[in-house]
Amino acid sequence: MPAGIITENLSFSYSPGRRVLKSVSLEIHPGEKFGIIGPSGSGKSTLLLHLNGILRGEEGSVSIGGITVNSKNLPDIRRLVGLVFQNPDDQLFNPTVEEDIAFGPLNFGLSPEDARSRVSEALAMMNLTGFEKLTPHHLSMGERKRVALATVLSMNPEVLAFDEPFSNLDPSMVMQLMEILRGMESTQVIVSQSVLPVIALCSRTAILKDGKIVAVDEPRTLVRSRDLMESCGLDMSLYRNYCRDL
Amino acid sequence: MRHDFIDKYGHLDSPVHRLDPRMKIVTAFTGIVVIVTEPLSADPAHFLLYLALVTAVVSVTRLPVTYLVRRLLLVSPFILMAALFYPLSVFISRKEFFAANQEAILTAGAAILMKSLLAVLLLVLLSSTERFHRLLMALRRLRVPAIITTVSALLYRYIFIIADEALKSSRARDSRTPGKLRTGRIGVIGNQVAVIFLRSWERSRIVYQSMLSRGFSGEFPDMVDMHLRTADIVFPLLFIALLIAVRLII
Repeated sequence: MPAGIITENLSFSYSPGRRVLKSVSLEIHPGEKFGIIGPSGSGKSTLLLHLNGILRGEEGSVSIGGITVNSKNLPDIRRLVGLVFQNPDDQLFNPTVEEDIAFGPLNFGLSPEDARSRVSEALAMMNLTGFEKLTPHHLSMGERKRVALATVLSMNPEVLAFDEPFSNLDPSMVMQLMEILRGMESTQVIVSQSVLPVIALCSRTAILKDGKIVAVDEPRTLVRSRDLMESCGLDMSLYRNYCRDL
Repeated sequence: MRHDFIDKYGHLDSPVHRLDPRMKIVTAFTGIVVIVTEPLSADPAHFLLYLALVTAVVSVTRLPVTYLVRRLLLVSPFILMAALFYPLSVFISRKEFFAANQEAILTAGAAILMKSLLAVLLLVLLSSTERFHRLLMALRRLRVPAIITTVSALLYRYIFIIADEALKSSRARDSRTPGKLRTGRIGVIGNQVAVIFLRSWERSRIVYQSMLSRGFSGEFPDMVDMHLRTADIVFPLLFIALLIAVRLII
């Protein structure tokens, strides 16, 4: 059973007096696919960085699978939570795909042989077998996105946290990525401005606005609340009008 | 984005490329020590023999000569400055001594020139016949302090980030600059450099966060396979023996 996530009254600011997260409380169930949507600058990515202990709240707490995140258990937390960054170029920093994917497992103490077998498994899951010796920055954006996901999958995390996984992908790649995510049993937190994939993928979704959770519900229910969506800068009328025309 | 100013030829297949990186490092640095410890009054033929030996190694690496020459030209101002500085300083401070020993002093200047040239050539050879990350791993196995190899590895990663940001910024500028940038607008480049560094700093921060999220604790993990074969020992030893023979016997 994968780990669940609980944040309680989590608050954070990058500079004094300017809170980016304001008393965020969420409960994400084990194995759930949970979306977080909201306008730019609402604190979505900042919230995601708290799940892995990269940032730590000034107030409140985050617990993963019952373990409260603190400075002493960061290695355990990072083993549990895999973070996939928005831009794969920020995540891929090794000279070969193999070394990038093995980076996490080796850091967590696996032998080079075991790390290599994790690399093969992760690449196979992403349909990238044979990419081991390639240079990450020579790949296409879609391939780099998948390699970035493989770098996290190789650590066998119980929780996967994605920052804008569907950005810069063509529609067929979005579909492909959605299929991959759908097939995974881990708990998934998907931060995105692309509302449609979140509706299609997630069982529940939270709307974050100005660092506060303003609603948590099934995505379809949220999308039907036009006033709520519009007030959060997530107006769907453009999609609706196009769909009607089509 | 694609940048190949580092590791451009590290992937080539040649007898030198196939050698163990640890032995290449040891050979290059031993060679440099042998050459730079030649006295300034050494017979110029010694340097020509060293050059012949290094050129023989270059010839089996399949490295383009133009590439090596370009690399040498990059550092040539510093080499020339070092070579000219010694005769010039003697000429300025001790004119009479210079007049009496003109030939010896010019020979010493030429020796400095050749020593610097050969040392740089050996380093270019080392860095061009092995991929950078393998060199770092080899340094680690040679017990070089982890702080040096980790900082070098981070530097290696961040150089590409800066190059990426510089390229993006230049494209953005060029797309709004008809023709060449006017002299009066040259200050724009200063602003651009500042922005490139700010953006690179921001991206470096995110890259570091992504490293932390995968358990990075200050030291890069090592999964490079290195096994010493007979050729890895014989070839470097032969090269060093020949250099020492030139130094001591000829």
